Amino acid sequence: MKRIAVITTVYRYLSHAQHITDRFLVGYPLNGKWRRPDMKVVSLYVDQKPTGDQSAERAREFGFQVYPSIAEALRCGGDRLAVDAVLIIGEHGDYPRNEKGQVLYPRHDFFRQCVEVFEKDGRAVPVYNDKHLSYSFEKARWMVDSAKRLKFPLLAGSSLPVTWRLPDLELPLNCQIESALMVGVGGSDAMDYHALEAMQSMIERRKGGETGVKAVQMIEGEAVWKAGWSEELLASALSRSDSPQGWTITDGRTQDLVGNRELPKLVKNPAAYFIEHRDGLRTTLLMLNGAVKDFTFAARVKGLRGIQSTQFFLSPVPNVTYSACLVSKIEEMFETGRAPYPAERTLLVSGVLESCLTSRIQNHQRLETPHLAVRYRPPAQSQYCRA
Amino acid sequence: MSISRRDWLAGAGAAPVLLRGLERPARPKIAAITTTYFKYSHAQHIVDRFLEGYGWNGTHHRPEMDLVSLFVDQVGSNDFSRDRATRFPSMKIYPTIAEALTLGGSKLAVDGVVLVGEHGKYPRNEKGQTRYPRYEFFQQIVAVFRSSGRAAPVFNDKHLSWNWDWAKEMYDTARSLGFAFMAGSSLPVTWRTPSVEMPLGARIREAVSVCYGGVDSYDFHGLETIQCMVERRRGGESGVKWLEAYRGDRFWQAWQEGVFPRDLVEAALCRSHTLTPSRAGFNNNFPSPEDMRRLAKNPVAYLYQHTDGLRCVMLLMNGLVQDFNFAARLEGRAEPFSTQMYLPMPPARTSLANFFSPLVNNIEKMFLTGKPSYPVERTLLTTGLTAAGVESLYRNQVRVETPHLAVQYQPTRESTFWRT
Repeated sequence: MKRIAVITTVYRYLSHAQHITDRFLVGYPLNGKWRRPDMKVVSLYVDQKPTGDQSAERAREFGFQVYPSIAEALRCGGDRLAVDAVLIIGEHGDYPRNEKGQVLYPRHDFFRQCVEVFEKDGRAVPVYNDKHLSYSFEKARWMVDSAKRLKFPLLAGSSLPVTWRLPDLELPLNCQIESALMVGVGGSDAMDYHALEAMQSMIERRKGGETGVKAVQMIEGEAVWKAGWSEELLASALSRSDSPQGWTITDGRTQDLVGNRELPKLVKNPAAYFIEHRDGLRTTLLMLNGAVKDFTFAARVKGLRGIQSTQFFLSPVPNVTYSACLVSKIEEMFETGRAPYPAERTLLVSGVLESCLTSRIQNHQRLETPHLAVRYRPPAQSQYCRA
Repeated sequence: MSISRRDWLAGAGAAPVLLRGLERPARPKIAAITTTYFKYSHAQHIVDRFLEGYGWNGTHHRPEMDLVSLFVDQVGSNDFSRDRATRFPSMKIYPTIAEALTLGGSKLAVDGVVLVGEHGKYPRNEKGQTRYPRYEFFQQIVAVFRSSGRAAPVFNDKHLSWNWDWAKEMYDTARSLGFAFMAGSSLPVTWRTPSVEMPLGARIREAVSVCYGGVDSYDFHGLETIQCMVERRRGGESGVKWLEAYRGDRFWQAWQEGVFPRDLVEAALCRSHTLTPSRAGFNNNFPSPEDMRRLAKNPVAYLYQHTDGLRCVMLLMNGLVQDFNFAARLEGRAEPFSTQMYLPMPPARTSLANFFSPLVNNIEKMFLTGKPSYPVERTLLTTGLTAAGVESLYRNQVRVETPHLAVQYQPTRESTFWRT
C-alpha cells in the first residue's frame, strides 16, 4: 500500500487540502463507483492552524501523524524518506500578496524542502502540486527542472482541465486552431489561473503541440471593450453559460449578452489577457465578473464547422465532484509513477499569469516573454471526466 | 371519444393534407397556453426561449418561428407575461384559449401549440394531486381544432394529466385527429454527466433512479429519468404490469430486505453532485446505511414491473441528494451502467434553467417537421406510473395492478438528449 505525505498550508473545511486529502481518506465517486484508493496518508505537515483546523482531528481518526516540519513529515519522524508519494497543497491560508496582487503561497518553498529530503536520502517519489507551481516563473521552472533532474514524476494544476464539460467537447489532436477565447470569473490570482489553465488544456492539442508564449498583455477597464478580441467567440462562449446576470437575475429571461450590449453595464472592471504563442496562435482570456458566474471556452478550428465551445462544469459546493476528477489523476500518478499530463502545462500557465500581472502593473503594456518558450506535447488521450 | 380519425378526415374535406402538417408557412405561428407566468415558472422558461432565443450549439439560437399569442390562466402580482407582451409586440395576450388559437378570429390561426400547465394555484384532491388544468386546456385546444377543421402540433409540458383517464383521452384524441403530440419533462433531454446513451437493444435486467422532490411532482421526473433509458432496451417498451409504492418505515424495511437493488442505488449515488455529507467537516463522503436512514427524510419508492419482466425502482430521497441519477444492470456488463441527468437548477446553482433549452429545441423541431421528436407514449406511460404511484401511496402502499399501462412503443434510434 502506497504511503502518502501531505504538505499543506491549512487544513480546514472546504480548503483545497481538505477536499483533496479527504478523498484519499474516505474515498470519492469515480465512474459510478465509490473508489477507495489503496493508499494511506501516513504523515501531514500543516503550515498554519487557524480556527477550524482539522489536522489533529483527521490525524487521530485516520491514524497518521502531524509533524512540525516538512522533512519530518516525509521521513515520518525517522531519518530517511519514508513515504511513496507527496501531496503539496499550498492553497488557502493567510499569506501576503506582492505588488502584482499574487498571493505568496509557499509552494516553491514546500517543494524545495521535499527536494532536499529526496537529495539527502538518495530517493525521490512522485509529487503532486495543487494549482500553479509558484507565483514566480523562475521558481516554477526550478521545480519542474528539479523533478527532471531527480527523475520523479510531477503532476500539477487544478480541476478545470479534468472536470466534466458541457458539452463533452475535446478538440481533435493535431487540429489547427485559428483563435481561442476563454471567459472566467473571480479574483486574481486564484481564478484567472483556473481560466488560463482550462484554456491551455484545450489549445495544447493543436498541431505541433505547445511551443510556448512569446508575448502577453493584460488590460483592464473600458479599454477591454475596444480591444481586438473576437465578438463571435465571446458570443459562443457565453452561449454556454448557465449563469448570466443582470436581466436574468431580475426576471429569469435568457439573454444574448453580446447582442444585447449589456456587458459593459454588467461588468464593472473587465480584464483581458492577451497571449501570443510562439507558433502564431493568439488567445484571449476575458475575466467578466458581473456578467456570468461560470467558465466557458470557444475556439475556431480549421476544418470544423462553426465555433467549438463548451463550459467547464464546476459542480456544486460542498461535494465539488470536479475535485474527484482531479484526485483520480493524482492517484493514477501515485500508482503508475507516470504523470497523466505534463507539468509543463502548469509551468507555462504559471508563467503566463505572472507576466500578465506584470503587464498590469507596467501600464498594461505588451511584454515580450522569451523565458516562456515552454514546449510540450499533450497526452493523446483525453484526461477529463467523461466516463 | 365521439369522433374517429376517419370521421374527422371525411368531415374535414381537404384538411388531411394540413392535418399531416405538410403545408406549413415559412415561419410557423405558435400559441402558448399557460397556467401562470412568473420568474422561474415553467411558462417563463419555455415561452421566453421562443421570444428571446437561447444558447444552443454554441450560438444564441433564435427559433425559426413566431410565438404570436399567449393565454395565461392566473395573473398574479409576480406576473411577467404583461412585461413580455410589451417587449414583444408580435406576441398578443388573449383572454381565452380559443382566442389565443384563432388570434381573435373564428378559425385556428396558429401552426403549433405549447401547453404549459405547471405552477399556479390549483386545488389538490384527496390523494394530494394538484389539479393542474392540462386536460381542460387540451380540450379547449381540440375544440378549436374541431371547429376549424384543422389541427396543429401540440406540446404538453410534463405529464399529460394527474388523471389517467383524462391523459388517455388526450392521447387518443391526438391520435384520432392525427396531429403531432409530444409531452414530458426536461429530464430525458438534458445534459448527462457522463454524456452516455443506453445502447439501443440493450438487455436491461433492472434499473433505478435516485432523485429528490415530492409526490405528484418530481416523482414524474424520476420516472422519466428511468423511462427515457429503459425504452431503448431489446424489444422496446412493452408496458407496465404493476406498481407498488413504499414510504416511511415500510420503505426502510424494504431497503433492509434488499427489495431495492442496493448496488444500483450505490452506483446512482456515485453519480450525484449533491450527495449530502453525512459527517460534519467532510464535503463528500459515502453515507453508511444508518447515515442514509438519518438523512433521507420520508423517502418514497415506486417499484414497478414491466410486461417483459424488467423491474424498475424510482427513489425519492430528499435530504440525501438534490439531483436525478440513473443506474441499470445490463446483461453482459459487469459494472452497472450509470449517469446523472444534470439540471443546472436556479437560483442556487445557476441563473438559467437551461435544461429547458433542449426541451424547447425538440419542440421547435416538431413544429418545423410536423413530427414529434420522441414518442408521446413515453409520457403517457410515465403519466400512468405517476398516477399509480400516488394511488398506491393513497391506498396504504398496496400493489396496484396496471393493466391499463400496457403501453407499447419503440424509442427513437437517434439520441434526443443534449450533447452538442
